[in-house]
Amino acid sequence: MKPGRTSDILLGLAGVAIVVAGWELLVRGGAVDPKLFPSPTMAFAEAAERLSAATVAQHTLWSLYRIVVGFLLGAVAGTVIGIAAGWYRGIGLVLRPIIELLRPIPPLAWIPLAIIWFGLGEPSKFFIIFLGAFFPVVTAAYVGITSVDPVLIRAAQTFGLRGPGLLLRVGLPAAAPDLLTGIRIGWGLAFGILVAAELIAADRGLGFMIMNERNTTGSVAVIVVGITLIGILNLITDWAIAAASQRYIGRWHGR
Amino acid sequence: MRRRLIDILFASVVIGALLAAWELGVAYGYLKVYQFPPASRIAKGFVDLTTVGFPTGITVWSHTATTIGRILQGYAGALVLAIPLGFVIGSSRVLDKMTAPLIVFGRSIATLSLLPLAIVWFGTGELTKIVLIGYGCFWVMLSNVIAGVKYVDPVLLKAGRAYGASGIELARTVVLPAALPRIFAGARMALGVGFMVIVGAEMIGTVEGLGALIMEARTFYRSEITIVGMLIIGVLGFAISTGLMWLERALVPWGDPLAGVRR
Repeated sequence: MKPGRTSDILLGLAGVAIVVAGWELLVRGGAVDPKLFPSPTMAFAEAAERLSAATVAQHTLWSLYRIVVGFLLGAVAGTVIGIAAGWYRGIGLVLRPIIELLRPIPPLAWIPLAIIWFGLGEPSKFFIIFLGAFFPVVTAAYVGITSVDPVLIRAAQTFGLRGPGLLLRVGLPAAAPDLLTGIRIGWGLAFGILVAAELIAADRGLGFMIMNERNTTGSVAVIVVGITLIGILNLITDWAIAAASQRYIGRWHGR
Repeated sequence: MRRRLIDILFASVVIGALLAAWELGVAYGYLKVYQFPPASRIAKGFVDLTTVGFPTGITVWSHTATTIGRILQGYAGALVLAIPLGFVIGSSRVLDKMTAPLIVFGRSIATLSLLPLAIVWFGTGELTKIVLIGYGCFWVMLSNVIAGVKYVDPVLLKAGRAYGASGIELARTVVLPAALPRIFAGARMALGVGFMVIVGAEMIGTVEGLGALIMEARTFYRSEITIVGMLIIGVLGFAISTGLMWLERALVPWGDPLAGVRR
């Protein structure tokens, strides 16, 4: 642990404590209407009263299930297509213009088309999340594989490696750091998209939970707790992915 | 040069063949027109959108103008708040450490998850959309401004002080120019975020704007209009990010255009 690390954490905690306490005091002091914006303690007490832990856990698991499936599909497809487009000239020539045309379209703009293609059920959500993960990953994979040091490739060829062996043992490892950055960005994007997809058309999941509370003029407390929960989940999973990729690429990438 | 031409020709032929196969697939009934409107139908949808409009009377240009107007309002609000705040936080080590977890958390909150709360507070009108765009842009902008100010090369600061600059003068002559590339990168990324948020925000409670257009077209089984809307959103997003990159190179030629805090 570096010196000064502890004081940094203490300062951070102090910052959080000041904001939470200030929020609590403003509401308790009557400056903010608790019906519009409940204080942290009120929000948790009220949310706990209205929803059982099992219900919240169920919505959370549904959201996580959707994001994991959609993300895995997107990450795998993005890796394969990005690598293929970067490694094989012919494939790249055809796929790149198509990808570049579709890439600036935000994944959320695909929602209507996803409903047309897949209906209102789970597959349309998987598809939207898939897109959220796919585009950052495919771009990162392409950039990674096309910027592999040519010296590495020539050296490997000198040792007699070619074809798929060259791709798997030299190209892919050399592209891995870029690829993992793309995967992390893709995960963050997929997370933001998940909630939006659930807000618009779903009957379960965290996005649905908070939107439903609004539509049935339920309690703002549940909405506030739900938003916080989604934020915390995003934060924890992002840290986990960052830590995992650090461990994996730390071996040959000095970061 | 010659090779480049052959490449382009090859790509055009393959993509053209794919489009033709799509067209034929629809004509012979293998693909449903509603699910996969072919290129010719999409082109017709575009003509309809520019002349008749969808819903009737609202042309695609007015949808686009509405969307751009919303983005710009939220974006401007976010920049006005984030730039001064970022300067204050970035220039104080203590403030930076105190706010770091709050900013990370603020960024982690999915902007659109705030939609129900924003509706409770501001109703379903314009303000809700502008606030959501502003929220999304704000955190990206703020963390880039802070990083820009915080990571000014200490050698530059020392040199500036050696020449007798301090306080506001040091900030204006040394810190600002050194931080500008990052601030610009942040401004570009923030606009991208705003663009993503608007499409989602427009899908609820409005019939104007590109997000509303594509959603409405679906309910009326006009999938070709949905696709035209998506393509316009894409072209707009691409034009904006390329334009900003170009502006950045012209205004701060000393910066690395790819610099910026990714997350």
